[in-house]
Amino acid sequence: MTSSMKIPGIDRRYLYVLLFIIVSIPLLNPLKLPIPIGEHARRFYDKVESLSPGSIVIVSFDYGPSTRPENYPQSVASLFHAKERGCKIVVLAYWPSGAPIAEEALRESTVFGSDFPNIPEYGTEVVYLGYVPGNEVGMQTFGDDTATAKGIDHYGNDIASLPLMQECQSAADFDVWVEIASGTPGEQQVIQFVQGRHGGPSAVPILVGATAVSVPGMMPFYPTQISGILNGLAGAGEYEFLLNVQYGYPYAQGPSLDAQSLGHVLILLFIVIGNISYLLTRSKGGKS
Amino acid sequence: MIEDVLALLFGVFVTIFIYSFLWKENPLSRAVEHLFVGMAAVYTLASMYDAALSQAIWGSQRIEGGYYIWIIPILISFMYFFFFTKKYFYLYRYPVAIVVGIMAGMMICGMIQSNFLAQIQATADPVTTPLVGAGVWEWSGGNIGFRGLNSLIIIIGLVTSLTFFFFTFEHKGVLGVSTRIGRYFLMATFGAAYGSTVMARISLFIGRLRFMYETTQVEDTYSVSAWWILPIAIICVIVMALWLRSRPEKAPEPAPATKPEKPKSKG
Repeated sequence: MTSSMKIPGIDRRYLYVLLFIIVSIPLLNPLKLPIPIGEHARRFYDKVESLSPGSIVIVSFDYGPSTRPENYPQSVASLFHAKERGCKIVVLAYWPSGAPIAEEALRESTVFGSDFPNIPEYGTEVVYLGYVPGNEVGMQTFGDDTATAKGIDHYGNDIASLPLMQECQSAADFDVWVEIASGTPGEQQVIQFVQGRHGGPSAVPILVGATAVSVPGMMPFYPTQISGILNGLAGAGEYEFLLNVQYGYPYAQGPSLDAQSLGHVLILLFIVIGNISYLLTRSKGGKS
Repeated sequence: MIEDVLALLFGVFVTIFIYSFLWKENPLSRAVEHLFVGMAAVYTLASMYDAALSQAIWGSQRIEGGYYIWIIPILISFMYFFFFTKKYFYLYRYPVAIVVGIMAGMMICGMIQSNFLAQIQATADPVTTPLVGAGVWEWSGGNIGFRGLNSLIIIIGLVTSLTFFFFTFEHKGVLGVSTRIGRYFLMATFGAAYGSTVMARISLFIGRLRFMYETTQVEDTYSVSAWWILPIAIICVIVMALWLRSRPEKAPEPAPATKPEKPKSKG
């Protein structure tokens, strides 16, 4: 057997170990590779940056712990940016597993602090509604009439007693809908059941923080129905970098992006070697 | 504080145990898998129960505030439990029919508006998909490039990909060329989806590695680093692997003998 024919027989577990080592190197010793800012993240940033103080931003946490490494940095950065712009923020989750993550993101020291919700601006500048049940139906109901979809906030306060919720009676009252999503219900459902019913993209602009897996599926909606996209961990890193330049926000995803770049190079090498091996094997008359 | 440290320890062990699946399926990875499914199910159930209460009972515009109309959805939802009775099973069909009817009505309207009409409108719109105009064929820089070229690729990709699924005529001549181009577009799309999937999976792996390598702040004054637990967890997996190897392998059970079928008599 020639050396080229041996390659397909490599135990896949060696490749896992190699990937583990390659990814670990930049995490332990960051390489500080340059980060080009993509158009999608730039548009996301520009849209939030264009909001005037007092605008109302809704941030929907529609993901669970399984995609937390991608979605959580996007969520915290979005909250930070909206707060820095002086926007009023309404936070909710259409996924039960998104609710505790949302609360954690709000308490992150760079956003509202560990005392959240015991802060003076709660109810006037920020409201956390918690889990809104009903999936698509809950989403549509909330878009039509916020008070019908949720009677109390996450802490048991009556919606009618929260001044901010009196300002936003329906989806048309929100200046931007930030959808941090990793499945259903997610961005497609917001487009279908909220944006489509309340005047289209000009009335309800949607910004999406998505997992990399789901981004190809949402590209047909960009840039008309979706105004900006944060594409997985890379998108979160780009957004953090932009916030770092403007507001001094910690650029924490740098080592992760280095690790991801090295991981991708390794996988590309695997693909090239695998294809060369396949072609050599076929040219020698072996099995494909 | 101690619960935070325990949570950290638990997180590291669980991460290593679940990744040991890459070596092969083993009792540790299976245990963690079952734990995850069980916890997710219980958490979802508890969240739903809590949400149902907050949705229908508490609040000034709910039963608490005198809006007794919320009793109706509660009663309808209780009809789901007739699934467990034989005599009144038919009553279970009413909430199912209501849910299916609502969803079908919502989906048809939403899909036609957002996924069909709006998509056609965006493709035909000279603002979003320009082919002519000032600066359309000039280099816009960065990720945008030539806007006109992007529009041309979108239009060609759309038309040729649609012809790939056009089966009224045989794919020959002009239609054959179009379907072939459409197939390349589809393959490029699947390739992009595959690449994105790889990217997402590596991101999740990086997330777990960062959790283990980096120092986690517990409260304001105390911090704990998880990396030193990593070798302990790996040793656990190795011990388990050695234990599995030391066990005598079970002989495969013989397949149950099948009875020869009797020839069916005609007539």
